Amino acid sequence: MNPFWSMSTGSVRKRSDTEEKTLSGELRTSPLRASTKKQLPSIPKNAVPITKPASPATSSQSTNGTHASYGPFYLEYSLLAEFTLVVKQKLPGVYVQPSYRSALMWFGVIFIRHGLYQDGVFKFTVYIPDNYPDGDCPRLVFDLPVFHPLVDPLSGELDVKRAFAKWRRNHNHIWQVLMYARRVFYKIDTTSPLNPEAAVLYEKDIQLFKSKVVDSVKLCSSHLFDQPKIEDPYAIIFSPWNPAIHDEAREKMLTQKKKPEDPHCKSMHVSGLSWVKPGSVQPFSKEEKTMPT
Amino acid sequence: MERMSWLSKLTPRTGGQRAPRSASLQPPVTADPETCLMVFKNHWAQVLRILERRGNKPAPDDLSAVRNNTYQMLNLLAEDRPRGDGDRSQGNGDVACGPILEFVAAENLLERLLCWHLQGDFTEERKVEQLKLYEMLISQARQPLLRHKSVLTPLLRLLSVCAEPASAPLENSLVLLLNQLCVSVAREPAILELFFHSHTDQGPANLIIFSLLIPFIHHEGTRGQQARDALLLIMAMSASNRAVAQSITDNSYFCPVLATGLSALYSSLPRKIEVRGDDWHFLRREDWIGVSSLVLFMNSLEFCNAVIQVAHPLVQKQLVDYVHNGFLVPVMGPALHKTSVEEMIASTAYLDLFLRSVSETALLKTFLRFVLLHRHDNTTILDTLVGRINSNSRLCMVSLSLFRTLLSLNCEDVMLQLVLRYLLPCSHVMLSQKRAVRDLDIYGKTAAKFLSLIPRCCRPESPPSPCDRDEEPSARARGHSSPGADPPPAPKPSTPSRLSFFMRQASAAPTEAAAPRSPGPPTGSPPQPGARDEVAELDRNYLEYLRDARHSIDRCAWACRVWSAPYDGEEPRAPGPVPNPDSPPGRPLGPPTPRTKKRGLPEEGAREVPGGPLGGDEPIAGGPGPDPQDGGTLVNGAHGAAEPVRPEGDVVVKKVRRSPQGEGEGGGGTPNGASRAQPPGWEPLPSVDSLLEELLARTPAEPPGAGVSIETFTEELREIEAEMQNGSVGGAPATPTEPPEPPLSHEEEEAFASFATLPEGDAGTGRAPPRPPDPLAQVVASPPRAVGPPPNQPFTGPFVSVLFGKLENMPHNSLYVNFLLTGLVAQLACYPQPLLRSFLLNTNMVFQPSVKSLLQVLGSVKNKIESFAASQEDFPALLFKAKKYLIARGRLDWAEGPGAAPALRRSDTLARSRKPSLGELLLRHANSPTRARHAAQLALQGLRDGGLHPLAPPARHGEALRVRNAVYCAVIFSEFLKELAAIAQAHAVTSPFLTE
Repeated sequence: MNPFWSMSTGSVRKRSDTEEKTLSGELRTSPLRASTKKQLPSIPKNAVPITKPASPATSSQSTNGTHASYGPFYLEYSLLAEFTLVVKQKLPGVYVQPSYRSALMWFGVIFIRHGLYQDGVFKFTVYIPDNYPDGDCPRLVFDLPVFHPLVDPLSGELDVKRAFAKWRRNHNHIWQVLMYARRVFYKIDTTSPLNPEAAVLYEKDIQLFKSKVVDSVKLCSSHLFDQPKIEDPYAIIFSPWNPAIHDEAREKMLTQKKKPEDPHCKSMHVSGLSWVKPGSVQPFSKEEKTMPT
Repeated sequence: MERMSWLSKLTPRTGGQRAPRSASLQPPVTADPETCLMVFKNHWAQVLRILERRGNKPAPDDLSAVRNNTYQMLNLLAEDRPRGDGDRSQGNGDVACGPILEFVAAENLLERLLCWHLQGDFTEERKVEQLKLYEMLISQARQPLLRHKSVLTPLLRLLSVCAEPASAPLENSLVLLLNQLCVSVAREPAILELFFHSHTDQGPANLIIFSLLIPFIHHEGTRGQQARDALLLIMAMSASNRAVAQSITDNSYFCPVLATGLSALYSSLPRKIEVRGDDWHFLRREDWIGVSSLVLFMNSLEFCNAVIQVAHPLVQKQLVDYVHNGFLVPVMGPALHKTSVEEMIASTAYLDLFLRSVSETALLKTFLRFVLLHRHDNTTILDTLVGRINSNSRLCMVSLSLFRTLLSLNCEDVMLQLVLRYLLPCSHVMLSQKRAVRDLDIYGKTAAKFLSLIPRCCRPESPPSPCDRDEEPSARARGHSSPGADPPPAPKPSTPSRLSFFMRQASAAPTEAAAPRSPGPPTGSPPQPGARDEVAELDRNYLEYLRDARHSIDRCAWACRVWSAPYDGEEPRAPGPVPNPDSPPGRPLGPPTPRTKKRGLPEEGAREVPGGPLGGDEPIAGGPGPDPQDGGTLVNGAHGAAEPVRPEGDVVVKKVRRSPQGEGEGGGGTPNGASRAQPPGWEPLPSVDSLLEELLARTPAEPPGAGVSIETFTEELREIEAEMQNGSVGGAPATPTEPPEPPLSHEEEEAFASFATLPEGDAGTGRAPPRPPDPLAQVVASPPRAVGPPPNQPFTGPFVSVLFGKLENMPHNSLYVNFLLTGLVAQLACYPQPLLRSFLLNTNMVFQPSVKSLLQVLGSVKNKIESFAASQEDFPALLFKAKKYLIARGRLDWAEGPGAAPALRRSDTLARSRKPSLGELLLRHANSPTRARHAAQLALQGLRDGGLHPLAPPARHGEALRVRNAVYCAVIFSEFLKELAAIAQAHAVTSPFLTE
């Protein structure tokens, strides 16, 4: 119900009351789930990135009561909306999670399953300019500099700018940057490279290029269990398989896939009503006997 | 209102009752069966001696002797156990019956006993005795007795003797016995079969149970309760037994009695609801629990609900039909149309109560069908109720409550009739904007827009920041002319502060919240510094609005999963101007505008008549504007081509006007293309922008305007769309892919090509943005100017008109009306359907000139408040007091509210304790009048020093009332804007998992 105006908690049907409780319970647990999600799921489509509840509360009150004080809400919500869009995209093998400390920094990992970079697991961090969405395009920096023409061999930064010369609000979204980051590993582009060596090898000596890539992929894998580069409660951490922890989580994921409806139905018992026949705009046009229960 | 749950109440009662009783009556020592049989025979011998003394009336001694012996015998019979069965639990099966029962059967003992009673003067007293004995026997029996004819036949005979109306004690015993009988039958459904085959003087045995119980359906007290419980058990059994269901529907009066009983009970409800406070607006349990006639009605309604919950679909359907035709149509319909306002108030409140109480979908459906489709005097109930919103305060409040209930159902049919069907044709937006319907505002522009409407006089700081100064005059100047045309001035605090905001250091956590807050300079002259802080809290509660908005939207989105269509501007398609052939005649199909004569003329009248008194000063959208004659020709297509031109020109004007403030996004990329295809200033619309981008990118070599026609472009888009629907079949050759999982799907390629500025030539075939589930990247298959039926007359429906009219009148509405009204609009705004969401919340949309937007309405309220504030010297002080009063009232109520979550109460931040105040408490008061008075008194006491009293008590004369309403309105309006802003923001972050 609406916060300020719900004048009559009592008037609302009991059903919704209880739902409300269960729903908020659901929401409350989500950060928990989000944190247990540090372990990346083995089945990509199964993964349900949890949108982190926005919590700009803490410091917002310190700003003055002007309109300006709502600015942070816009920014944080825009980023949250961007994150929601990422979730909707379901980019295969790409996972991100905004950091705990700043909504402008997202941790991510990308799994490459085919092609030259097959088996690559590359962790990265996305830095969103704080004047988003009116600023430059976000930066994407790999934790380890992957051997790639478009990745700076020293800093690990991906050349995002070439794809997003001008970052335009409404038109450009962060999921596009992520999609781009995935794409560069499948379609190698060597024009004006950040890593000229890689570019030259790719053009002139593909065999050597391939072996360097394999080395690079191996190197990244060998550092997979390292502590995260940036310390943050929401940083993505890999750890060896530990049956005590992971078996249960895996089981949960697999069973959830089988009957996705059930857990939801129980936790959120809200159900709307509809007797409209699909395609019709007539109320009560649905056949009898098929009414929802 | 709690849901009706009959069965849950039922089970513990019967269970709890039995245990102690059987314990107390049980003979302390269970003798061995042989002894018992001997004793039994002994008793029987004595009785027999009397029974066989034929002829004369039995002497009193005989009577008492028989009575005593029978009592002993039946007790023994009850204790009798099946042979070879030490364990009572398996007593059902095919175990042989106990020795006493065997004896009873052989002697036909019970039958003979009853015959003897019937011969003589079978007084009521003796009937009661017999009923009690049988009741004891059945409830205590250790073996199934009813399956034996020797028990069943006399029992049924006894029952048929008791069919006539009788004294209360007899009825009590009768109902108790019947109840017991039903409990036994429910335990052993096979017995029911026997009932079918046993006949009594009154017909089949199963029917006698009914015919005896049915008269008690609507009784009050335990008797009625037991009767209903008993019937419910049979109903539950009918669920799995079609024969039973059939006999209920075909051979009993159960459903008609139950349904028409509602009518009878309704007629004895108070015609006028005695109201205690001026804030009362709906019936809460506390309100009706003391009104016996209402309790009776609610019991029966609850019973209907329970029957529908458990009974066989046959019974369900019959009952539902009877409720509709025997109660709603003949009784509720006329009741809602009574001429006296008091009666209208009462019937509306009753209907609201009923809707809130019914939990069974089938029953609810019947109520809703009645409300939405039934026509009384040629007007649907719905339209009548919508019109009532426009009336004066109490009736308006009750009606608003009813609609709150309706909206809270998340029912597609309701929303379709109320709003969506008027939005479906998309005729309320400029044609070119149809595709923007699905846009989500992810940058908070809408929120900024709403927040910018907070009247200056209500803003926390007295010296407006430079930023405020900038936007203020322009925003006002724009006012009505171009709602949502311009991007909101993005509030830009300096970068460092924003950065610091995002650094959620542990140290900067909760404690920080209170400390560095600079107390906003008070607008009034606050009595104490503490109060000032408190009131200032209202300026900092935005986060809570965000939280609640998110919650409400999530819930609503989740609930709407069951809907048949997304209502995103494409699906479902709006019905054409020709009425749908399979639609029931006489029912409105589309917008009841003059233009669509065939569909809804009657409603038009209904809409405008009640619109008179209060909505006078502002035109109801669609009402006065359109010319019916003109519309009629348009239907025939005569002006089809001309029609879009006029509004289009209008848009151009608006756009030119707003272009100076345009943010210039995308402007650089599309200079000439934009001017060729579209009027200048076109680009602020993201979707159009992107489309134009695509268009331009596709045809780099061609001279502008020459090569690409809208048609071919559309065609291409269609192809792309089709390709994407078929997966990546169509355009696959572009990228050689590996079979199992193409690393980059065609789709992905296209998507990438659409946003990335790759070197020329790399872009591949698909230039259009993809159509993933992402609503932000929409491609609409239809060309910018759809060639189709001429758009319907833009009219967004009576409900929206009435709400907007009422909103516009906010400064004159009472506090409570405004609470309900803004709550209802907020509720509406939480619906996730793009059509509705864009209509209410997309401030970038350009509507047809005759369509008023929410933003326009709010803008006019803002202006009214500001001019009022300017005219009222002491406005700041009044405003302060109003806030203070509302907060105090709220806190009091919240603190004592039973529903208050401990978490909320214990929270030490002021914001938290503030939150429930305004809203919760106000209506809480309405709910419990005594507490309300008490709370109000306390609040007043506490505030008297502050000089609040001129505001608080009901003002006596008009001027004071006017001032009071306006000041309260200022408070509510500001909060409402925050709420709307929060809702607008929350829509952009709704989890996709809720809707998928």
